[in-house]
Amino acid sequence: MNHTVDKVAGDFQRQALQLAGEQISAPWLDRLRFEGSEQWLAAAWPGRRTELWKYTPLQSLQRGNFSRWGAGQRCDLAGDALLSLDAIRLVFVNGEFDAEASACEAVEVVRFSQASAEQRAIIEAHLGKIVDTKRHLFASLSNAWVHDGVLVHVPRNVTLEKPVYLVHVSTPEAEAATVNQRALIVLEESASAELIEHFISDSQEQNGFVNTLTEISLGANAKLEHYRMNLEEEHLLHIGGVHAVLQRDARYHGFTLAEGSTLKRLDYQICHRGPGAHADLNGVYLPRNNQLLDYHTNVEHEAPHCTTSEVFRGIIADSARAVFNGRIHIHPHAQKTLAELSNRNLLTSDKAEVDTKPELEIYADDVRCAHGATVAQLDQTAMFYLRSRGLSETQARTMLSFGFVNELLQELPREEVREHLHRRLHLLFAREHFSA
Amino acid sequence: MTEQVESLIRKDYSAGFHTSIESETLRPGLDEEVIRFISAKKDEPQWMLDWRLKAFHAWQEMEEPTWAHVHYPTPDFQALSYYSAPKSMANKPKSLDEVDPELLETYAKLGIPLHEQEALAGVAVDAVFDSVSVVTTYRAKLEEAGVIFCSISEAIKRFPELVQKYLGSVVSQKDNFYAALNSAVFSDGSFVYIPKGVRCPMELSTYFRINEMNTGQFERTLIVADEGSYVSYLEGCTAPMRDENQLHAAVVELVALDDAQIKYSTVQNWYPGDKEGKGGIYNFVTKRGLCQRNARISWTQVETGSAVTWKYPSCILKGDNSVGEFYSVALTNNFQQADTGTKMIHLGKNTRSTIVAKGISAGHSQSAYRGLVRINAGATGARNYTQCDSLLIGDRCGAHTFPYIESKNPSAVIEHEATTSKVSDDQLFLCQQRGLDAEKAVSMIVNGFCREVFKELPMEFAVEAGKLLEVSLEGSVG
Repeated sequence: MNHTVDKVAGDFQRQALQLAGEQISAPWLDRLRFEGSEQWLAAAWPGRRTELWKYTPLQSLQRGNFSRWGAGQRCDLAGDALLSLDAIRLVFVNGEFDAEASACEAVEVVRFSQASAEQRAIIEAHLGKIVDTKRHLFASLSNAWVHDGVLVHVPRNVTLEKPVYLVHVSTPEAEAATVNQRALIVLEESASAELIEHFISDSQEQNGFVNTLTEISLGANAKLEHYRMNLEEEHLLHIGGVHAVLQRDARYHGFTLAEGSTLKRLDYQICHRGPGAHADLNGVYLPRNNQLLDYHTNVEHEAPHCTTSEVFRGIIADSARAVFNGRIHIHPHAQKTLAELSNRNLLTSDKAEVDTKPELEIYADDVRCAHGATVAQLDQTAMFYLRSRGLSETQARTMLSFGFVNELLQELPREEVREHLHRRLHLLFAREHFSA
Repeated sequence: MTEQVESLIRKDYSAGFHTSIESETLRPGLDEEVIRFISAKKDEPQWMLDWRLKAFHAWQEMEEPTWAHVHYPTPDFQALSYYSAPKSMANKPKSLDEVDPELLETYAKLGIPLHEQEALAGVAVDAVFDSVSVVTTYRAKLEEAGVIFCSISEAIKRFPELVQKYLGSVVSQKDNFYAALNSAVFSDGSFVYIPKGVRCPMELSTYFRINEMNTGQFERTLIVADEGSYVSYLEGCTAPMRDENQLHAAVVELVALDDAQIKYSTVQNWYPGDKEGKGGIYNFVTKRGLCQRNARISWTQVETGSAVTWKYPSCILKGDNSVGEFYSVALTNNFQQADTGTKMIHLGKNTRSTIVAKGISAGHSQSAYRGLVRINAGATGARNYTQCDSLLIGDRCGAHTFPYIESKNPSAVIEHEATTSKVSDDQLFLCQQRGLDAEKAVSMIVNGFCREVFKELPMEFAVEAGKLLEVSLEGSVG
């Protein structure tokens, strides 16, 4: 690494710590913040030779001046920007809670700053304990920055009737601003819930940096449906992480969809801690223009009899770049594991690029693990078939691209999410550059 | 089952004897003087010495790579001796009859009696003993066809223009830590040149053997197949059993010019260390081929030996329509560690590559496949198919897959598949129910698992590989 880069990295690291100092938070969070700062300072700044950041340069982050916090403000979103959904809704604008737009009357959902003593105990017991900062550098920064967040705590044998709908809106500001988003989901034994995280921006030029972290603890036999939609516009920088720990027979059903922006890096880390746990995680990524979109997923099988199924699909247009890394790690003793990962990519332009790396690390013998990865363009015979039926080239492309990702969308149980994304994708694929 | 596994995982390393031959071994350590000594000893021209020194200076700046999924104490490069030769080689023998009988005996024990080979298989062998090439059989017949097959030191003297043109053209002196080290101190190796349009009349073969203690073996192989030619090259390796770890850092460069074909097969059976993981060879090898238009390079390897393997035979598919192939079986047992795979760099149009990698881990061993498929923007119509399968025997071993796929061209089609499982109980049951004992059954299943790769090996090698696998796996099942 040359000297200038080092200096820039140092600037950002220092800036980040200064920001942490400006946060006002409850004293009971101080310990976490202190540890976070220490870790953040001690960590080496990732470069090309850092395996986890090999394909994802952070220059755009270093070059920006993210030395101030974002402020909550009014935003005018288009009428159909949000899901029309009967839900426990919390809306944050640039990290600030927007009470007017929110509808939060459930006792299970609370902001850290409003937590009762009992809830504080739960937060203290879990916050920052689930996340693996070794594989997710920016988690320590999130710890250092933490001042508020959302706690979803579902007690034993309780099923949350309504889905929890977290909306994070970014708006452009005069100067580039930083936003820290935190969520903690704790489901006790046999509890069940549904969580929808929705990241959007109003359609103007974005200039912020958003660092998000969602920690999930699933007790024995608990079940979580989790949707995460990263739909912010062009120039936003977003680094996000989802870390989940599953106890015996817990089930995690995850779905994530991301459109690109200047830099988006999303880490999923799922840990099977108790036997019989199951996780499935499906994802769609759609970068275009000059965007960079990076998904890193890591599934740790620490206990026997667990299953994982992971499917990620991407369509990469224009000069965009997609990075995918899917690691499955089977620990010794995690016998009778079934794990599968599939990653398929379509490149639709000469300048598009994809770097994919499905990884298996296996230390137990009685397991069945498989992964597959493909990279190609749209099937020419399918194109020909559609053209011969009188569809225009654009129509045919739109239809095939849509079909490629719809295989994952159509299985989503939550109809409102499915329809929202259908509409969004139709618009996206119909845009000229996606079908060039 | 575990106890039985324990009692049965015991394999004998049949090539583990040491031959007492008086040899001339250089003092341990590495500096410019040593390089000058090696160069002088080999009577090399000035350009060669300069080339080595350039590599040495580059090496001094470099750091040992640590990214591989293997763990071992860093070799002390100053404790190694960089040159060792049997004394009787001082006056190089003119023909087989003049070679030290004890040396020949060694090769006979290894199962390559040179005399017999000459008569029998029609395989020409260049045998490298520690650092010098002992003898090259079958030379006359090759010369008739215009094929040059000799030790690299001889080639430096006799065909300097060829060596100068191609040496380091595929693996540069600064390529990586071990390649740089090799470039600085390589003592011998093979050189092959196949002239335009010639189909090499027989299979060429090299046999490497490390004999002396505390020596590193650094051989350098350079194969140039001129336009429209064809050559099949075999390589085998063994070493005596020792408690210390020995270093082997080789470089192999293949150059396939337009329409040429090179088939490179390796059976690597370096001493893997004993069953406690003591001793064994560190095998850090750089192998790479360059394909010009319509050329084809095919790597086939059976890796059963070495304590630590770090090896990625690669193809640079530079010319349009060129083809790269990689077929590999890597078997690890006891405490062996292997991090092996391939790189396919697609530069030309319509380039194709196939990767079939089979890993088998038993005992406490760790085996990893690490591969890179890179499609550059210009590689329109490129195609890659990768399949890596791992088989686990016993619950204390590990199998890992790290494939890197980078594509910059939309017309390229890349497929990658990997699976990991253990020997299926159903298959075992079927075999045993048909009257085979467990060990035979596993051997049969493993052989079937590797079949796709074995069928790419030349016949004699396929038989040897099958047997080797049987020996290496002996007792891994209960």
